[in-house]
Amino acid sequence: MDLKLLWKQRRTGFWNGILPYVGYVIQSGVAMVFLFLVIAFSAWYTSFVQNIPAGFPIRWIALLLLAPLALFSSYRTYLLPADIVFLRPQEYRMQDYLKNSFVRGVIYKMLLLLFVFLTLWPLYVRADVDAKPLGWSMLFLVLWKVLSSYGAWQELRMVQAGASKGYRILRWAIAILAVAAWLWQPPLRSLWFLLLLAAVYIVALRVPVKHRVAWERLIQVEQTQAGRVMRTLGWFVDVPSSGQKVNSRRWLSKWGNGLPWNAGQAYRYLMTKTFIRTEVFTIVLRLIILGMLLSWWTAGSYFGIGVYLFFLLLTGIQLGVLRRSHGESFWIMIYPISGESRRSQVLGFIFQLHAIAALLMWLPMLAAGMEGLSITGIALILGVLVIVLMRRSQGSKWLKEEEDE
Amino acid sequence: MENVQSPVLQISGLSGGYSAKRPVLHDVNLEVGRGEMVGLIGLNGAGKSTTMKHILGLMTPQQGEVRVMGKKRDEDAQIYQSAMAFVPESPELYDEMTVMEHLEFTARAYNVSEADFKQRTEKLLNLFRMNEKSTSLSTHLSKGMRQKVMIMCAFVAGPPLYIIDEPFLGLDPLGIRSLLDFMLEMKAAGSSILLSSHILSTIENYCDRFIVLHRGHVIAQGTLNELRTKFGEPDTPLEHMFYSLVQGRD
Repeated sequence: MDLKLLWKQRRTGFWNGILPYVGYVIQSGVAMVFLFLVIAFSAWYTSFVQNIPAGFPIRWIALLLLAPLALFSSYRTYLLPADIVFLRPQEYRMQDYLKNSFVRGVIYKMLLLLFVFLTLWPLYVRADVDAKPLGWSMLFLVLWKVLSSYGAWQELRMVQAGASKGYRILRWAIAILAVAAWLWQPPLRSLWFLLLLAAVYIVALRVPVKHRVAWERLIQVEQTQAGRVMRTLGWFVDVPSSGQKVNSRRWLSKWGNGLPWNAGQAYRYLMTKTFIRTEVFTIVLRLIILGMLLSWWTAGSYFGIGVYLFFLLLTGIQLGVLRRSHGESFWIMIYPISGESRRSQVLGFIFQLHAIAALLMWLPMLAAGMEGLSITGIALILGVLVIVLMRRSQGSKWLKEEEDE
Repeated sequence: MENVQSPVLQISGLSGGYSAKRPVLHDVNLEVGRGEMVGLIGLNGAGKSTTMKHILGLMTPQQGEVRVMGKKRDEDAQIYQSAMAFVPESPELYDEMTVMEHLEFTARAYNVSEADFKQRTEKLLNLFRMNEKSTSLSTHLSKGMRQKVMIMCAFVAGPPLYIIDEPFLGLDPLGIRSLLDFMLEMKAAGSSILLSSHILSTIENYCDRFIVLHRGHVIAQGTLNELRTKFGEPDTPLEHMFYSLVQGRD
């Protein structure tokens, strides 16, 4: 069996399945909005770079942008549950298969990191009086990205789930430390520190016991990754969503228990539990926190309204994923829950969450005080308009899909 | 006024399957009365699961009709679905919910009162020894435990009719005993059960009647004694009768 060929066939098969949807994404209005926002951002950024305010915290901004990209790693292995039976006899040769996953996993993310760094460069080099040289900075980021990716790959092989989690935290911590050292310290001093940090990390990675191929974990991760691609497509077009990563989040587990006890709230109960335990929750939370920070930072400006509405739109799109969560599940066809009840409960739930997000992201705009009151007021009105329009759009889209069926 | 003698489940002249040209079921007629436990038996591919899918409303009959509590699904889907609970052959659980949350979701969907839910849940968790796992996510359960959750969900709903497909797969011996005892208890309380299983020696002593499906046809039905009178000797085990019934028909 040619394992390299098998990997390529699976990869081609997966992306061929995605390709038919790309046309819908391009046609979608949301894609146009993204394009418009990219153009608007470019215009704003160009003007901002020419008029950088004094004391601009460029090192913190660079750390905030570069550290996550330097540490973030994920891999597509295209492994299937049946591989535990049919590919396991080939385990001693699986390096041939998995090498492609590792290389591809590193290259694309490295390109993204370099793209963001080069976009940031004009701002960095103007705002930081002790800016590091471009070439050395790129070399540092490339090498640290490789190290971080290697660490993430070793985490997948670790036998103990606890060890894997611990090493993930370690990887995050040292990546943040490394980027901070590069940005704040003189080049030579930070070089020695980085070499020492990398050496200690590599040695530390050798300690935990590892599988030759961690079949179950790799298959689970692959399902999560494939699910993410489908959910991203789900923003634009109706695709089945599956393979969501589920986290127990015990601290939130009581959410939903207080819903009124009647059949009308049954589906909302399921939606609430789904929301708190899936990635939608963490993504929405991150968007709200980032949206609040940026709303505060840009408070009182028209650009701030754009930022606020952009984050409101992103939050709405993410919450819209909930609509497809269990729509085709087996029990929904069996249990006595009517389609009408399901529709109203899901849309109502999404609307309420969206409204809370809108309020939370709007509140920091009040920092502009009385001077920016009119802009803050406009932002609120437009925000309410966005969530109402998105609610209506989701409702009519749902009805249309039901009619088509 | 509803006729108290009318069967809970009534299937008349049912033909159906995945393709109109090649139906899986052929003129199936069967009934399940109140407080009755009926065993639906047959080889793999005989049409047991297809029959159940028609009852559940997952498939539409090509001919004939299915009535639950005297109603067809297209007359009132809500009442129709509320009147039955299903235990599938393979556990189907939501990854995002714990054991207890599955039970609560089911109870809410079937409009079970909160007091009944609490009382039934306590009893079922004890009976199936699932107390310690009540706050575990379904992804952290073994296959047998997942099957127990399916069974508990059906019983927490408490409808008049249970459709149970191969419930013993993956259950430990204590689980099988608990399930059989509980089914008898539900039957005594007036519930009706249509049960499909290949473990004939187990269900032989529990079911009131048996329906033998073969290649989509009902080839025999009746009580154990009626089947013995027609197809065997006075003490012939169900398994032997079933074997001789289907053997000559392939």
